Amino acid sequence: MDAMTLRPRLRRPAALSAFCPPTFTGRLHDARTATAVGRWLGAAFAVCFATGLVSHYLQHPPDWLADHLPPRPVWGYRLTQGLHVATGLAAIVLLLVKLWTVYPRLFVWPPVRSWRHALERLSVAVLVASAVFQVLTGLLNIAEWYPWPFSFVPVHFAVAWIVTGSIMLHVAVKAPEIRAHWGRGSEGTLTLPAEDALDRRSLLIGTGAAVGAVTLTTVGQSFTALKALDLLAPRHPDHGPQGLPVNRTAAAAGISARSLRTWRLEVTGPRPYTLTLDALGELPRAAARLPIACVEGWSVEAGWEGVPVRDLVERAGGRPGRDGVRVTSLETTGTYRIMDMGAEYVDDPLSLLALTLNGRALSLDHGFPARIIAPNRPGVLQTKWVHRLEVL
Amino acid sequence: MRTANTLRYTLGGLGILMIGTGAWLVAAEPEPAGVLLWLAGALVLHDGVFAPLVLAVGLLLVGERYRGVLRGALITAGGLVLVTLPLLVRPGEPPNPSALPLPYGRNLAIVLVVVAAVAGVSILVRRGRDARQRGAEDG
Repeated sequence: MDAMTLRPRLRRPAALSAFCPPTFTGRLHDARTATAVGRWLGAAFAVCFATGLVSHYLQHPPDWLADHLPPRPVWGYRLTQGLHVATGLAAIVLLLVKLWTVYPRLFVWPPVRSWRHALERLSVAVLVASAVFQVLTGLLNIAEWYPWPFSFVPVHFAVAWIVTGSIMLHVAVKAPEIRAHWGRGSEGTLTLPAEDALDRRSLLIGTGAAVGAVTLTTVGQSFTALKALDLLAPRHPDHGPQGLPVNRTAAAAGISARSLRTWRLEVTGPRPYTLTLDALGELPRAAARLPIACVEGWSVEAGWEGVPVRDLVERAGGRPGRDGVRVTSLETTGTYRIMDMGAEYVDDPLSLLALTLNGRALSLDHGFPARIIAPNRPGVLQTKWVHRLEVL
Repeated sequence: MRTANTLRYTLGGLGILMIGTGAWLVAAEPEPAGVLLWLAGALVLHDGVFAPLVLAVGLLLVGERYRGVLRGALITAGGLVLVTLPLLVRPGEPPNPSALPLPYGRNLAIVLVVVAAVAGVSILVRRGRDARQRGAEDG
C-alpha cells in the first residue's frame, strides 16, 4: 500500500486542477521520524543559542554585568564556544535530514485550509528560512567568507532569536503530535506501518554516523586531544606563528616593527606612569597556562608569562576588585582596538599583560611587545599590541 | 492536562516574543532588506534546489537491497562535503597563514574514501550473513 492509493480522490475546481502537486510515495516522511530527528535538532539549536548568548554577553556585557563576569573556570569560554561551533556543524546534518522528512508537507493540498493553517504554514516558513540562514552564515563565517551585504555578528545574533522562537512556537503547535510519536511504543507511532521501523532505525543510525563523522573530522580545532583527526576544520592547533593560530596578523592591523620602536606602556589612573619595555620586563612576573579561544570556535592552550594586570592597576592607584580597566591597542583600525575589562577580570591573578608565549618573546603577530591574556574570555578581547591601560 | 496546555501556550507565546525580538533586531540593522533577501534566499535554496536534488538521489536507491547502508554513507559523505565546501570554493586568499591551513581537497578525498570503505565492508558483512541465513534455511 503506498501513498498513491491512500490519497482521497477529490473533485477539484477546474482552475485548481491545472496545478498538480507532486505526490511522495517514499517512506519515512512521517511524524515518528520527524520527532526522532527533531528532538536532536532541537537540542542542538538550544545548545547553540545558549552558548551564543554566553559569547554575546561576554563580548558586549551591559553596564550592570560588566564588573561581575566570572573569570573562572579558565576553560569556560573555550568549552562554550567550541560547543557552539561543533553543535552548529552537527546541526547542518540534522536540519537537512529533518527537512527531508517533512518535505512532502510543503505540497499539502489545498495549500491553505483555514486562518490557523495559514499562520502555521507561515511560522514554518520563518522557521525553515531562519534555520537554514543561521547554519549557512555560521558555516561561511568560520571559513572567513562574508558574501552578504550585512554585518555578520549582529545579524547572526538577531536571527538566533527568530530561529529559537520559531522552534519553541513549532514545538508548542506540534506538541500533541510530538507526544504521540515520542517513543517506539507511543500510540501515534503504533498506527504507522510496522515494517518501517527497521528502515527508520537505519536512517537514524545513518544520520548519527554523519554527525559523528562531521564532528570527528572538525572538533580537533577546539579539542586538542583529537587534533590528529582535524582534517576538515578551518583551523588546526599546530598551524600558526609560535605554534598558535592567530586571527589578525600584525600586517593586517597596520603594525610594523618600526612603528613599535618608540613603544611605551602608558598607565593612567590616580597615579599615572609610563614604562619602557625594559622597565616593564623588570616588574615581578607571573606565569599562567591559558587557552586562546576564538569566537570562530578554535582554541589552543599555551604557556604565558607577564605582569599581572592587577599589579599594574594597583601601581597606578587603582583598586583591584573594584575598578575596571580600559585597554587600548596600537592597531589603527578594528572593532576591538579598545577593550574594557571588568573588575573581576582585573582582580584575577591569572589576568596578565603577557610578554612571552611558550617561553619565547611574543612574535609580532601575537601582539609584541605586550598583550592581554585572561581566563574565560573570547579571543577578540585578548588585546594585542597593548600600549595604554586606563583605570576606570 | 491543564498544566500541559498552560505549558504549551506559554512556550508558544514565549516563542512569538522571541521571534518579535529577533525581527526588531533585524529591523534595527542598517541593511534590513539585505537580511530579508538572504532569509528568503535560504528558504528557496533549500526547498527549491537542495531538497529536490536529495530526493532525486534518493530515487536511485529505491529497491536497492542494502539501501540503508548506502543511504547512511551518502548522508555522511554529503555532510562532510557540505562543511568542507566553503573552504574549497571560498574566493580569494585566506586572511592569514593560520586560517584555512590544511589541504582540504586531499583531506576530503581521504575521508570520503574511508566512508566508502566502511560502507563497502558493511555491505560485504551483510551479504555474507544473508547468504549464510539462506544456506541455513535451504539446508
